[in-house]
Amino acid sequence: MGKVLEKEGLHNFILSLQKHGLLIAPVTTDMTRFKVLEAGDKVELNNNPFFPLKKYFLPNEEPVLKIKNGLTKEPKLKEPKKIIFGARLCDINGLAILDKLYLDQRFVDETYKKRRENTTVIGLNCLNPPSENCFCGSMGLQKEGYDLLFHERELDYYIDVLTKKGAKLVKHLRSEEFDFPLPKTDKKLDPKDLWPFMADKFWEKDNDLCVSCQRCTILCPTCFCFDLHDDVNPATKSGDRLRTIDSCHSPDFTQVAGGHVFRAKRLQRYRHRVMHKLQFFKDKFDRSMCTGCGRCIDYCHSKIDFVKTINEDFK
Amino acid sequence: MNIYNSKQYKILDVIKQTGDNTLLRIKCDLNPMPGQFVNVSIPGIGEAPISSASYNDKLLDLNVRIVGNVTKAMTQLKKGDEIGLRGPYGNGFPMKELKGKDLVLVGGGCGVAPLRGIIEYVDLHWKDYKDVYMFFGYRTPGDILFKDEISGWNDKYKVFLSVDQEVGANPFNCPVGFVTDNLKENKVPSNAVALMCGPPIMMTKTTEILKEKGLTEKQLYVSLERHMKCCTGKCGHCMVHGQYVCLDGPVFTYDEVKNLDE
Repeated sequence: MGKVLEKEGLHNFILSLQKHGLLIAPVTTDMTRFKVLEAGDKVELNNNPFFPLKKYFLPNEEPVLKIKNGLTKEPKLKEPKKIIFGARLCDINGLAILDKLYLDQRFVDETYKKRRENTTVIGLNCLNPPSENCFCGSMGLQKEGYDLLFHERELDYYIDVLTKKGAKLVKHLRSEEFDFPLPKTDKKLDPKDLWPFMADKFWEKDNDLCVSCQRCTILCPTCFCFDLHDDVNPATKSGDRLRTIDSCHSPDFTQVAGGHVFRAKRLQRYRHRVMHKLQFFKDKFDRSMCTGCGRCIDYCHSKIDFVKTINEDFK
Repeated sequence: MNIYNSKQYKILDVIKQTGDNTLLRIKCDLNPMPGQFVNVSIPGIGEAPISSASYNDKLLDLNVRIVGNVTKAMTQLKKGDEIGLRGPYGNGFPMKELKGKDLVLVGGGCGVAPLRGIIEYVDLHWKDYKDVYMFFGYRTPGDILFKDEISGWNDKYKVFLSVDQEVGANPFNCPVGFVTDNLKENKVPSNAVALMCGPPIMMTKTTEILKEKGLTEKQLYVSLERHMKCCTGKCGHCMVHGQYVCLDGPVFTYDEVKNLDE
């Protein structure tokens, strides 16, 4: 069961969210970014933000432990309640994918868990793809990972309600049953088993263009690799054990003690990333790790389009 | 409990084994299975994954070769100091599945250390296994690990040591040659299972020889080396072909990893 909000009520609804926590939404300045909404900010409803939603759950750098007097100590978790409005289904499904790893019952990342619990995610369904490189229509996105999702209709918004946390925010609105459509895109990735295409020759064309700038991994809603390293003041011996965003494109990503690098060639690293997104993860979790947001193509330094390459050349 | 945090354990002894190998004996109840590893924390320097070299519910032996800053700091610790550990991680060698088998252990250099965990396991469960063959290779006689235990192993198991070069005294009369030469020249039952740890070239050659001796790829177990950072299947550093070496490994059958062309 969902809810319905008249279009003219949207502005007030968004502002009313501020009383439930820190309100974050896409705002356009030089480009569109998620940010904490301040007086005068206009919520951007048309573009997908440059940087994906993951930054609110896995910041680029944060201490996982404090170091004091030669011992590690767990930092106090202070996670304010947040409400994120206007995330797209590609980023939201990205969270559902990260959940599989960070909420893995064997090793639950408590900070990530707390942030997921304390954040209300309100999605905005895409009627038109925000970028020509969007290909989520072919990536099997699911209606999951959000608390509420707004789907724009001619006169109103249909609000899909997935959680109790979301339901509380819209309990005053009229109920309706409606099966909203998932986003459609012109660009599509052909579903293919990529294992037969591991040979270097299939990757050489794109690899020749790649400069290992790591933009694709930084901007990917599901790229989560990190480094753990200590940062201490040599005089006081106190500091942090930091988790810092890392990239499998980095040459030292697979370096072991003694200096050996397992993926020393750029082609190996390029192939590893695409294979992880489209094949390795799927083998384990039965879904692609790529949600088709298209950022890695939009913002690629060399305009590499792996979707086109896979569709046309992997034969 | 924060999954990245470690607990402090007391170091009972620091034993210099060779010029560059040191054994830390730690009072510890983590009791890893043979082939599992712990992540060692030296706050201010960092962490390093180290395989257990023992099988004991009260003690943990870690053999450390200085290859980086964390291992260097570990060897500077003294008896009575404390050390941070988290784990144990990884699958370990499937000792329970291997009941009733002959075991062929093949190790090179400090790759012998994780295999010592198997020896201690078999010492306690000797009724469950047939013969144990040990093929251990070192650079020189001075590099031989666990020297005090070799005569005890000789009493119970079939021990074949070798050294790449004869430098200095050779108290165990090890033949000069690679561990694989010793393996080639000696018989092992074709229904045995081989458990190996060492440099990639040793594992490749060992596999070829054991296949010639009639062992199938499913009878060969290898322990892979990667730099596990989080050790919990998240950070991505140890992933190869979608397998997390920290969770799904580090022990794989040769059959599972033979085509792991990066």
